[in-house]
Amino acid sequence: MKAPIISLQGVHKYYGEHEPRLHVLKGINLDVAEGEYVSITGTSGSGKSTLLNLLGCLDNTSEGAYLLNGTDVSSYSDDELSKIRNEDIGFIFQSFNLIPQLSVFENVQVPLLYGPRSIAATTDLCHQVIESVGLSDRSEHRPTQLSGGECQRVAIARALINDPVLLLADEPTGNLDTNTGDEVLALIDDLHQQGRSVVMITHDPDVANRSQRRVDLRDGIIVEAGAA
Amino acid sequence: MIPQKHLEMVRMGLRNLVGYPMRTVLTMLGVVFGVGSVIAMLALGAGAERELLKEIGRLGIQNIIINSIKPEEPDTSSQRSNWISSYGITFKDHRQIVDTIPGIEKALPVHVSKKTVWQGSKRVEGTLYAVTPEHLDMFQLNTSVGRNLTHLDDEKLSRVCVVRSGMLTELGIFQDPIGFPLNIDNETFYIVGVLQDDSFLGYARKALSVDAKSSEIYVPYSTALRRHGTRSITRRSGSTEATDVELNQVVISVTDLDQVLVTARMLGSLLERNHPEKDYELVVPLEVLSQRQKTQQVFNMALVAIASISLLVGGIGIANIMLATVTERTKEIGVRRALGARRRHIIAQFLTETTTISTIGGGVGVLVGIGLVQVLTFFTGWSAAITLSSVALSLSISMAVGIVSGIYPARRAAGLDPISALRHE
Repeated sequence: MKAPIISLQGVHKYYGEHEPRLHVLKGINLDVAEGEYVSITGTSGSGKSTLLNLLGCLDNTSEGAYLLNGTDVSSYSDDELSKIRNEDIGFIFQSFNLIPQLSVFENVQVPLLYGPRSIAATTDLCHQVIESVGLSDRSEHRPTQLSGGECQRVAIARALINDPVLLLADEPTGNLDTNTGDEVLALIDDLHQQGRSVVMITHDPDVANRSQRRVDLRDGIIVEAGAA
Repeated sequence: MIPQKHLEMVRMGLRNLVGYPMRTVLTMLGVVFGVGSVIAMLALGAGAERELLKEIGRLGIQNIIINSIKPEEPDTSSQRSNWISSYGITFKDHRQIVDTIPGIEKALPVHVSKKTVWQGSKRVEGTLYAVTPEHLDMFQLNTSVGRNLTHLDDEKLSRVCVVRSGMLTELGIFQDPIGFPLNIDNETFYIVGVLQDDSFLGYARKALSVDAKSSEIYVPYSTALRRHGTRSITRRSGSTEATDVELNQVVISVTDLDQVLVTARMLGSLLERNHPEKDYELVVPLEVLSQRQKTQQVFNMALVAIASISLLVGGIGIANIMLATVTERTKEIGVRRALGARRRHIIAQFLTETTTISTIGGGVGVLVGIGLVQVLTFFTGWSAAITLSSVALSLSISMAVGIVSGIYPARRAAGLDPISALRHE
């Protein structure tokens, strides 16, 4: 067994400062091994978005520890979390979240703006990553000139640019039709095959079944964890 | 952080401005007109000050001018019976000044009288200035044709004169004027020189009592005094007025600039004693200059303050649009935060945008200001001077406006919670 890339240990999350507080996550224990492909499913209100925010270092836990790559990040400051998001996590969103006024190439460059590497030195890398998602001929296009599937592939390229330890996908096919959705999922499968750790949130059982392991969340508790 | 990265951030930040050209231009307009009016006001102020310096500087800031003025006549019949009115600076005053007041380099006497100048059947009303040759040098009265008056003219009591070219035109003299005879008060004077065409302006004209309506004729002091004396009779609408003024003007040049005001005070008390009726005025260009400069500076400041209000309004415009932009771009801010942007990156991005808007606006404003100044000076004939410092000042103020107007929107944007910003639609 490889060392876990993610380790949640007794994680609770409350919202609100005064009683009665909203208790969203009620003691989550979850390990994701390096190179593993895990899907998290659950109905709306089950706490999967909150869990994603914690895993994505967009938020801190209320209780419990979150070890990312062996480091406890549960009490990190805003700046420290920003650094982790930039370097260790690649986000793939349901609605792509590309910046409309920037070209494909520039969208892929955005994470580099906030990291230590120089833009000039990473031009080749950007081209490679864009090529790897099959959009070499589209790099000067604006997001509005692309189809939904292409947009999501740009988003995947952007997620990969800093070579993150974890890919975090939030309903990546939610805004796509079945065929383009399948293409995007195939791309994610490829990335997993290449050894990337992937955590995907979805409500679609068919999508979840493509992962190695399904984690089902209900009312803030993991009710079922096992091979998909 | 590497500067190159900053450049890249700026470049990507500008995408947003280029992406909405209309909005960017409209946001910029406030600063454009603000800076434009500041530039124009500063230029007009500087022009007025330069004009003032030229005008009063022409009088010489080391000089003090004493003019004889006709005192207020008490309206009684007994006084009126004395038909020669005698007033003003006397030869005695002149001697006293030269003998008793220290630190005086020169004290040049001037006698002024109104004369009719004839040339054939044509005539011109002229003002005869009996001056020493130094006088012409002192006020940079240089000839464009012929020569100036000399000491020899004075010694030999030569009947020569130096005139303005305008007078030649009026008298119909179009050939070579040198050696041309003019009949002045039944005496023939020969033209030896024609003055360059730069008349005294504004205050200088008043201080030297140069009449706007009549032409100036400069003749040697001794000649005029010997030929015409100090009395003059003028006929005006039936009544006759005779005056006897020994010296109409004394121009005093002080050796040391620091001593000008002290000397002026000494002159003042000397003349006050000799002339209790106050039939003289003391003109101290240095004093006038500093007074006028002070007034001008207050005026300039007021103008710039008014112009700055439009710059302020421009800044508020930027802040307003930026606040709207923050709301509009909440999602983008969330995405950038998710991709690793720290709060300071978001602040930097917004400040870059506002500063770019205001700086470009400032640059365009400078051009608009220059254009405005050109148009104003063309149509009004006002004098204006666009100084480098006013351009630098306007540009730095507009930059500052960009930063200040960006701070609040930028802090709002950076303070957004990444999670809710991401969920914002």
